[in-house]
Amino acid sequence: MSAGNDVLLAVRDLRVSFGTGDAATEVVHGVDVTVARGQRLALVGESGSGKSVTARAVLQLDTDATLTGSVRLDGEELVGAAPRILRSVRGRRVGLVFQDPLTALNPVMRIGWQIMQPLLIRGVSKREARMRGIALLERLGVQNAPERFDDYPHQFSGGMRQRVVIAIAVIAEPDLLIADEPTTALDVQVQAQVLALLDEIADERGMGVLLITHDLGIVAGFAEHVTVMRHGAIIETQDVDSLFASPREAYTRGLLGAVPRIDGDSSVRLLSVDEIAVAPAGAAGAAAASAVAAASALADSDQGNPA
Amino acid sequence: MSLLEVSGVNKTFHGRHEPAISDVSFSLEAGGVLGLVGESGSGKSTTARCVAGLTRPEGGSVMLDGREVVGARRATMTTLRRDMQMVFQDPFSSLNPRMTVLDLVGEGMIVHGIERRPAARRDLVVEVLEKVGLDSSHLTRYPRSFSGGQRQRIAIARALAVSPRLLICDEPVSSLDVSVQAQVLNLLRDLREELGLAILFIAHDLAVVRYLCDSVAVMSRGRVVESGKRDAIFDSPQHPYTRSLLAAVPVPDPAVQRARQAEARRLLDEQRRAS
Amino acid sequence: MTSSRIDAIIGIRRRRVSRSRRRTPVLEGIAVVVGAIILIIAVIGPWIAPYSSTIVDIGNTLAPPSAAHWFGTDATGRDVFSRVLTGARTTLGATFIVLAVTIVIGVLVGTVAALVGGVVDEILMRVTDIGLALPSIILALGVAAALGPSLTSTVIAVSATWWPGYARLIRSVVREVREAEYVTNATSLGVGRLRLVFRHILPNALDPLYVQVSLDVSSVMLVISGLSFIGVGAQVPSAEWGASVASAAANVTTGWWALVFPGVAIAITGIAFNLIGDWLRIRTDVTLKGGAK
Repeated sequence: MSAGNDVLLAVRDLRVSFGTGDAATEVVHGVDVTVARGQRLALVGESGSGKSVTARAVLQLDTDATLTGSVRLDGEELVGAAPRILRSVRGRRVGLVFQDPLTALNPVMRIGWQIMQPLLIRGVSKREARMRGIALLERLGVQNAPERFDDYPHQFSGGMRQRVVIAIAVIAEPDLLIADEPTTALDVQVQAQVLALLDEIADERGMGVLLITHDLGIVAGFAEHVTVMRHGAIIETQDVDSLFASPREAYTRGLLGAVPRIDGDSSVRLLSVDEIAVAPAGAAGAAAASAVAAASALADSDQGNPA
Repeated sequence: MSLLEVSGVNKTFHGRHEPAISDVSFSLEAGGVLGLVGESGSGKSTTARCVAGLTRPEGGSVMLDGREVVGARRATMTTLRRDMQMVFQDPFSSLNPRMTVLDLVGEGMIVHGIERRPAARRDLVVEVLEKVGLDSSHLTRYPRSFSGGQRQRIAIARALAVSPRLLICDEPVSSLDVSVQAQVLNLLRDLREELGLAILFIAHDLAVVRYLCDSVAVMSRGRVVESGKRDAIFDSPQHPYTRSLLAAVPVPDPAVQRARQAEARRLLDEQRRAS
Repeated sequence: MTSSRIDAIIGIRRRRVSRSRRRTPVLEGIAVVVGAIILIIAVIGPWIAPYSSTIVDIGNTLAPPSAAHWFGTDATGRDVFSRVLTGARTTLGATFIVLAVTIVIGVLVGTVAALVGGVVDEILMRVTDIGLALPSIILALGVAAALGPSLTSTVIAVSATWWPGYARLIRSVVREVREAEYVTNATSLGVGRLRLVFRHILPNALDPLYVQVSLDVSSVMLVISGLSFIGVGAQVPSAEWGASVASAAANVTTGWWALVFPGVAIAITGIAFNLIGDWLRIRTDVTLKGGAK
């Protein structure tokens, strides 16, 4: 244990590829991610940016992925670690919240049983696990938690299911929570509730959160630091206020300029591919050059990726 | 007289107790853009399909330019369809995978007798493709070789090829990346200006609606709870549902979002203390 | 849920499967070549056969394989090699006639049932059920009794029992395709019903049929040969493979070649088309990434 070191997760030069031999494709190209203890980091990107793959690589969830580089959790190296160590990390030191509660929950097992699992496999008694599970559900705003504890996933609405998923993720008191698009499948009001809950729980338990999302609005309201990814590489990393106020890269500027706002001025045209080349920038020269590069690159994201 | 006049439309699906939509009414002027907003299950898609004549409502009327859509006979419906075209949500499933771009965009012209001669039709197709930012090099390709944003453009071209007066867009940008979404939204704005197209835009994303529409109708649980001009709805929403919906939409601005979230928490605490 | 979200959720599974699909299909490649050769033989067989397949030659009965007669001669002195080549056309010809007829009937019945629905669907499906319930062998015996045993009566009997399978298959696929968004899209464009069926629904509904048909080639062939073998199908002196095997069975101890070679021909053809059908099925399975888009 490294005393006084508040870096919880340190990912360095992570490369992820799928397939073997000739068919091997590198999907993440040398990525660095840092999450400090109790800190909120958002990993933002569009589809195909590699953000999900990167997050899943932390816990080595893709069994057909080849990883090189370093992933250190609290100083302990996970790349190449024994399966026993990975198992002890998952659920105990890192909790995972998936995108779709429909597939994250086992439809034929009661939700209470699923919530208790992370504790039961660590030797907690059934009674104790049940008590803690019900208390947690109540904390997460589930009405009639004691009765609903024995219900099945299909008896819950989307928002409720996501709370169950969060309960499973945090019940063993992990240091880090990885949430992969946790609210994409939810209505906007439920989304706001779930995000607020994540916020509170993370605060109460001093958990670090790695949030993966494509939604810049969510990032603005939740994250302290932001890393922007694209095509498997990192574009830039800044604290949230600086990123939104003065993004360094043209791609980030383009992304921010492409998002419509409910309090926005609709007469200001959204930035799209053709206009990225002339995106307003702080400094003229270097920014303009990188803008042109980003423009043709952003053009790829629409022209080049079928399906 | 408005281009589109929807009054008192009801639809209950077979075997369900609750109507999917009840008493839905709104109108759209020629060249106007109306945003029909709501969460999933609000009935906005059902409404769109009733307007497009794809679903038959139990009651109410849909008048396109003074002609009744509900219960129209097949021949009348075909004529009505020339004026009213639809763009669907999922670009990956709304285009026939076995038809080339030329086939897809030209089909409307064949079906409505606009241009049956292949050579002339091909030229017209290229014209329409150019309007949406594609070109003749795309003619012989199949949908599978295009990205999501491009497929949506093909879908829009297909709809525009028959020169409709109304374009019904059912969540056309919901499954697209942000940068691509911006392109398609700008395209729709430009087309509306250039062609005087009226657009009925169904969406769940309020920010998108703000950008594109000049009037808004908010739906919840099958009913229209509030409607009016865009600025009125966004700046001074009347109905509690509209207000809570707007309050929940995240704004991509950290300072603004923090303030809104703090306000929301404060309201929640007040509520808790009151009860 | 959009397809891109679904893709994301089943991400892992898809990658794994697409890897195994990409391995070079050596076995299937061989099967395609063999199948092609057999089809070519079926067409040109009688012309390249060195001897007549029907004219007897009593002086040369049951001669073992030699340079003059690669497959030897049978009990009536006919060159077995020539009979196998000629029989290809008979066997496979009958097979493809059955398939052609049953495909047409099956697609017609299945499509009408799926698109018209209601009472028509019910009636057609009950007729289909009757067809499915009839065992082809019994029916073949019946037809043979009525019309006299011949390849023709076998073809009729087998066709009668084969089309219901296709009707059911097409009906379920068309019912699915009918709900596809591109069909709704076409309707909203103003496309009429006829064009909708022929331009949008059918072309996208026939994929499973292609696969099923290639798998059925060997099944139908075996039924036809089998029926000829028991005597209700092709009659002497037809070179049909099943009939050849039957007529050679009596002398198998003294002239195994007359039975084995036609029998091997049946087996190889069956295996080849099965492998082709299997390979087509894997290629067009839409749950796999990259499959029939």
